[in-house]
Amino acid sequence: MSDLAIARRRMMTGPATIAVLAVLAVFVILFLAGVGFGSTWIPLDTVTSVLLGGGERTDRLVVLQLRLPRVLAAAIAGGAIAYAGYLLQRITRNELASPGVLGVVDGAALGVVLFLAIFSNESNALTVPVAWQPLAAALGAMTAIALVFLLAGRQASSAIRLILFGIAIAAVAKALTTIFMLIGPIYQAAQAARWLAGAVNTINWSEVQIMLTVLVPVGIVAGIAARHLPPADLDDVSSRSIGLNLPVYRIIMFLLAALLTAGAVAFAGGVGFVGLIAPHMARLLVGRGRVAGVVMSILLGAIILMGADLLIRVAFAPLEVPAGTVTAIIGAPYFLYLLMRKDSTNG
Amino acid sequence: MVESMSGGVRAASSRWPIYVALALGLGVAMLASLTLGYKLYGLDEVWMALFAHDGSETATVIAGLRLPRALIAPLAGAALGMAGVMVQTLSRNRIASPDTLGLNAGASMAVVLATVVFGVGSLAGLSLAAALGALLTSIIVFGVAAGAGGLSPLKIVLVGVTFAGLAHAVVEIVLTSNEAQLQQLLFWLSGAFVDRPISLFFNGLPVVLVGATLAFALTAALDALQADDATAASLGVPLLAVRGLTFVAVSLLTGAAVSMAGPVAFVGLVVPHAARGLVGLRHRHQLAAAALVGAIYTTLADVAARFVIYPVEAPVGAITAVVGAATLVLLLMRRLA
Repeated sequence: MSDLAIARRRMMTGPATIAVLAVLAVFVILFLAGVGFGSTWIPLDTVTSVLLGGGERTDRLVVLQLRLPRVLAAAIAGGAIAYAGYLLQRITRNELASPGVLGVVDGAALGVVLFLAIFSNESNALTVPVAWQPLAAALGAMTAIALVFLLAGRQASSAIRLILFGIAIAAVAKALTTIFMLIGPIYQAAQAARWLAGAVNTINWSEVQIMLTVLVPVGIVAGIAARHLPPADLDDVSSRSIGLNLPVYRIIMFLLAALLTAGAVAFAGGVGFVGLIAPHMARLLVGRGRVAGVVMSILLGAIILMGADLLIRVAFAPLEVPAGTVTAIIGAPYFLYLLMRKDSTNG
Repeated sequence: MVESMSGGVRAASSRWPIYVALALGLGVAMLASLTLGYKLYGLDEVWMALFAHDGSETATVIAGLRLPRALIAPLAGAALGMAGVMVQTLSRNRIASPDTLGLNAGASMAVVLATVVFGVGSLAGLSLAAALGALLTSIIVFGVAAGAGGLSPLKIVLVGVTFAGLAHAVVEIVLTSNEAQLQQLLFWLSGAFVDRPISLFFNGLPVVLVGATLAFALTAALDALQADDATAASLGVPLLAVRGLTFVAVSLLTGAAVSMAGPVAFVGLVVPHAARGLVGLRHRHQLAAAALVGAIYTTLADVAARFVIYPVEAPVGAITAVVGAATLVLLLMRRLA
């Protein structure tokens, strides 16, 4: 490493730390506000005291049973999808890559709808434990990304082409999802329709628990594997020649990203564009360092989804507009902006 | 552009058997649409219902339920097929279509906003809204592409698909906050030919005819535009005027299709490829063949939708989405795009 690079790294440490701390502060404030806001406003100091084990019974009930799971789920799902987006963008060297455009989100959704259609009985109750739902999502997500890569074949090195294959796979998954929703019971279809658009309002504690059990180990494995990501300023050929970014490694990273996405989508639904925006904003704030990039992506992803959920409760209450619509309305123009910047992609 | 050679030199006289075969195919498809379904009807019953309505239940079902879809499906398919041809020529992009450029989604969003925000209720008003939505979307998508200094064909599609995602999100929000109008609006959003009143057909027909007339008036210019801008300009084609008029024709056709059937996915992507394969690159023939192929395609897809998950009926948009996405994958793999 040249002296210049070391010097640059030293210089980055200061601002990066400040940025992480600032984002962390935003995260905490949004988290508390998300728990406090609702049909009855609970002051922030009450929220804090309930979280620390105090508070009155009614406050405890509302905070711990109604609000906290919802806010936590938004934070976890947003963070996981953003993490997946970070890995995908680094491994494809393209800031347009994300779980949404590569068809992973729709694949996971198809997995869940199939699961619900197959394992429901007449009274719309599941015949198997709900803990299997993430497995169905994971199978769907991994099938989708595997198909994208198999079909793209040698074209897989062009991220734009990869994304177009992803769009095609996503279209098929969406169409099949519609058909399976029609086959399934009517009530469940109504439920699924809202869930598909990305909604965290109905999540309960046991689902949050399952999300964490799935996502924490996968996240740790992905973190260890991410240490071997090639530096962002190294091109494909050079990184392969020093033994980085080999095909097998790429496949493992893609599967890990698919698992992270599936763990989030399984309960939070199809939340679009979070995996695209968060890693990009992280890069703007902390540069290309890996640890800071991962931490920042996760925090920003959590912030975006919690913020979207909070915005919906402020702007549309008492209606429950799916959070995915807000992230799409913010994310789509952002994606267009990225597309229009000429040198941003290797298409 | 290999197909241009074989298609371009094909003598005009050798094409009429193709058109006859397509017209026959369309007739058969429409008959299938009248007779096949949850209940099967004989040709004699269809004849009775259409030309000697005796007030029986069978005749009422055929004339009231089967006939509208047997008419709307081919009209929407023809409109989307022709729109697809023009969009692909305009963007010189073989994976462009009213869907991949977001025009369908823009038209649906316009219908929803017109109903909820401006209180439009008449069929004619909604058709107009759909056409305007498609026109605005095409201006935005091509505007973004031009603003970025001429995006590659692949990127234009990404812009279109992203814009479609945006339109869907807006529709979702409007629908969630206006549940009273949900039923009425889902009608236009599901992409289906089932349960459409016959008045939609008579409402859409003049719009499609105007769009098609405009399209056929532009064929010579579109032929020239196929090469590149410099060639077209040197042939005396007023580029801006032709592009603008083509946008209008595409928007009328897409808007009419959406106002009749909702967004039926990927028809405009698949059909032009089949049409070019049959009759070559001259737009006079491309458009005519695309209209016929599109009509047959949507009519057959509509028949298939009745049997895929029998006895429930699948939305025809789901069928065309699967076929269309598979075609997209094939086109990408053959690097035609």
